[in-house]
Amino acid sequence: MRVIIAEDSALLRDGLRRLLVDEGYTVVDAVGDGAALVESVSRHVPDLVVADVRMPPTHSDEGLRAAVEIRRRWPSIGVLMLSQYVEQRYAVDLLTGHGTRVGYLLKDRVADVGEFLEALARVGAGGTAFDPEVVRQLLRRTTHTDPLTRLTGRERDVLDAMAQGHNNASIAARLHVSQSAVEKHVRSIFDKLGLADAEGYSRRVLAVLRYLGE
Amino acid sequence: MRIWSAVVASARLVWGLAVGALTAVATLAGLAAGGIVLAPALAWPSAREASMHRLASIVLRLAEFERHRLYRLFGDTEAKTYRGYGPERALAYLGVRWPVGLLGGGILALFVWGAATVTVFVWYWLTGRYPDNIPPSPWIITYLSVACGFALFLGVQGLIGVVRLERNVARRFLGPTPADLLRMRIEQLSATRADVVAAVDAERRRIERDLHDGVQQRLVALGMLLGRARRSGAAGDEVKSADLLAQAHAESREILDELREVAWRVYPAALDTLGLRDALAGVAERAPIPVTVRYDVPETPPAPVVTAAYFVVSEAVTNAVKHASASRIEIVVTRERRTMTVRVSDDGGGGADPGGAGLTGLARRVAALDGRFAVISPVGGPTEVRVMLPCA
Repeated sequence: MRVIIAEDSALLRDGLRRLLVDEGYTVVDAVGDGAALVESVSRHVPDLVVADVRMPPTHSDEGLRAAVEIRRRWPSIGVLMLSQYVEQRYAVDLLTGHGTRVGYLLKDRVADVGEFLEALARVGAGGTAFDPEVVRQLLRRTTHTDPLTRLTGRERDVLDAMAQGHNNASIAARLHVSQSAVEKHVRSIFDKLGLADAEGYSRRVLAVLRYLGE
Repeated sequence: MRIWSAVVASARLVWGLAVGALTAVATLAGLAAGGIVLAPALAWPSAREASMHRLASIVLRLAEFERHRLYRLFGDTEAKTYRGYGPERALAYLGVRWPVGLLGGGILALFVWGAATVTVFVWYWLTGRYPDNIPPSPWIITYLSVACGFALFLGVQGLIGVVRLERNVARRFLGPTPADLLRMRIEQLSATRADVVAAVDAERRRIERDLHDGVQQRLVALGMLLGRARRSGAAGDEVKSADLLAQAHAESREILDELREVAWRVYPAALDTLGLRDALAGVAERAPIPVTVRYDVPETPPAPVVTAAYFVVSEAVTNAVKHASASRIEIVVTRERRTMTVRVSDDGGGGADPGGAGLTGLARRVAALDGRFAVISPVGGPTEVRVMLPCA
């Protein structure tokens, strides 16, 4: 896996590079702002990009704009965004583009090395990875819309994990239940939310999240 | 040089008084004529409107002329700023001013008469004649010299008095009324209030940036180091794990330093406990180049003044080190009567931009305390940041 890191804090950039190298990734470049990121991607065309949302010069959303451009020009490249805050708009924006090979994590999640690497691997494998906190806030935002309130606690747990990008096997392992039980919960969730059951879990996640995000 | 400019200024004053006397006569004539012309016109409403309008424009033009005379010839900078007085006030001004103008003219005429008398006497005596049969005996010369000196003194005093009177009349009738002054003050306060709010917001943004781009990043990096150490340990690589832990330990100490610095930038706690003198000494100690502090303020100034002074010095020192590549800095804090003056000067490259974020924030803070803020920084240096803060 060839990776480009975009992060303006030199300390963190270096830490990320070392961590990824430890894990067997090939870090082809590490840059400090959005323009340099797009330029570097066009030169190296990596498999994965890990980028901070907030970078110079304006420290607002350079990283995100670079990511949107990268996804438009090289749809095969996986992009994992790191954000200081839960920015629901960003999460929804990223999702509504092409709902695969994207991830959106809170920056602090990087410190949970295991979770971060797992999310990166998921995005690298063509899946999605959304920060549990982001998903939680999206869910919380929609509690006033009734379909979700009809879910059981277990179903909410499943939806929560699903929205983060976990597949059924992974959800089963996380919740310590059988895979068939998870499949049953998923079917029930889709019934309750009135969503047609489609193939491919990322599209389902997309559908759910889009539903939540609107 | 100084003497020459004094002579020029005196000549201007005399010229101004002469012109003032002429305009006084003109004004008197004009007002009388205006009255004579206006009186019959008042009977016809249609004519009244037009002639009033005409009179108003003439009155305003005359008052403007006087205002220019005061500014140009008497060097009255206040008169330059008088604006927006209406024809009524201008008319009142002209009505009060003409006697003052005539008085100045009268004193000038006395001068001319005295100078002529002295000239005649001296000329007669030099050519061996006696004016009015008065011989140039020592007694007579002494008596006349003393009399002349006395008259000259009175005349000069009179002229100075007339100039002052002219200025006062103009200020009273054309200058800002108390209501104008209040309005200006309110405008100024509104502006500084808005500026203070903006400055506070800018400071908050800076603090947020400090926390996020400094402390938070470091904490995340620390977490990463610890996470990697644990993974190495779990993978059985004890050496690498120990090395990463040592790095994490060092990083945690740096985070503490950074946090202390951020907190200090938010508010230097030493200001409350130690006072301005010691806080400034602290600034000097922390600076990477030699900084001398001269602190000469007898009693403790009010807290807002202390805080503003501290931040001015702190920002100026930071700028001098960062942008001006100065090799030494001098901080001088003095107090004269009710004003505390803070001067920070450096020997760097100059060319500081007073519109920069840091300096703008400081200027606003100082303006809110009715202080004055100046940055003197020619390209090539040296730079001086000067702040005057009222300590009422």
